[in-house]
Amino acid sequence: MILIAIIIGCIIGAIIGINIPTIPYTYSGYLAIAIVAALDSVFGGITSTLKKNFDMKIFISGFFVNAILAMALTYLGEKLNVDIYLAAVIVFVGRMFNNLGTIRRYYVEKITTRKIIAKAEATIKEANEENK
Amino acid sequence: MNKNRIAITLGIVCLVLTIAISVQIKTMKGTSSTVSKRFSEDNLRDEVLKWKEKYETETLNLDNAEKRLATVREESTKNDTTASAKEEQITLNNNLLGITDVEGKGIEIIVKDNSSITSETIGVLDDISNYIVHDNDLRNIVNELKNAGAEAISINGQRIVSTTAITCIGNVIKINDEKVTSPFVIKAIGFPERFETLSRSGGILDNLDDYLEISTRKLDNVKIPKYTGVIASKYMK
Repeated sequence: MILIAIIIGCIIGAIIGINIPTIPYTYSGYLAIAIVAALDSVFGGITSTLKKNFDMKIFISGFFVNAILAMALTYLGEKLNVDIYLAAVIVFVGRMFNNLGTIRRYYVEKITTRKIIAKAEATIKEANEENK
Repeated sequence: MNKNRIAITLGIVCLVLTIAISVQIKTMKGTSSTVSKRFSEDNLRDEVLKWKEKYETETLNLDNAEKRLATVREESTKNDTTASAKEEQITLNNNLLGITDVEGKGIEIIVKDNSSITSETIGVLDDISNYIVHDNDLRNIVNELKNAGAEAISINGQRIVSTTAITCIGNVIKINDEKVTSPFVIKAIGFPERFETLSRSGGILDNLDDYLEISTRKLDNVKIPKYTGVIASKYMK
């Protein structure tokens, strides 16, 4: 269900994105940092859904606040002539890898448990047939 | 929490995300970012090196082929008077065209930017650009040499042929589409005594000598390389 929603969202987004005009080059740096922030939010959302502690308020507020803070930091860095946006990129990408690790572990464990259960069921069946 | 609502929220977020990504990609397509610029620069540099290597091997091949052609021609015209006369004509014409290496009596003129004049030592009313060699000076010297009957002329190894242009491109001078810089070694083959009149007072070399560093010497054996470019005609028939 979630996967289908994500795929549909991506397809519609790509179609809309292709057809709307481009933004000025000056602002592309801000948009880039916002993209990284949004990607981080999406991974965080998927992870929390798998952990079953997804909170709509936290997700939405995190999405907007993270993106705006990252853009504000980029602006500040531009004024101070320091590449502060690198800090934001490092934090977001690091968290993305963390979340990706959690998602991966969840599915790997799920598959292994399924296999163990199937094996156990097969042994039980055999034992039942021998008893007959 | 309703699972559908979670899915819809994530879908909307993904929608916004992909819109942003595609807009960003579209924006960056027109401009060249520093990363892609460096990448394409490296590629271009590699390509240049490759072409240079290729060019050098091809020039070597061409040289060898020309040598073979010359020997073949010599052998085939050995016992035939009309053919050998024609052969001589071909050699002469090739020499005049500038597509063969030639050597003979002549002079060597070395023209340098004046190194004793700097922006500190120069007077207020004087112009520093008077003390560097310009394309115009080289053209004047070449014309002077031709007037003195030079049969072959080269500047820094660039043979002066009928299609040669001496042009100024900023800091350097372009001759036969090759960049040359000071010091300019001008070599000419011709009757040495006639070249002596070049340094007459009031002549071009004498006038230039006030500003530039010029040294002239007569040589018994001047070697002038051939023109390496292509002599092509588009409209002549």
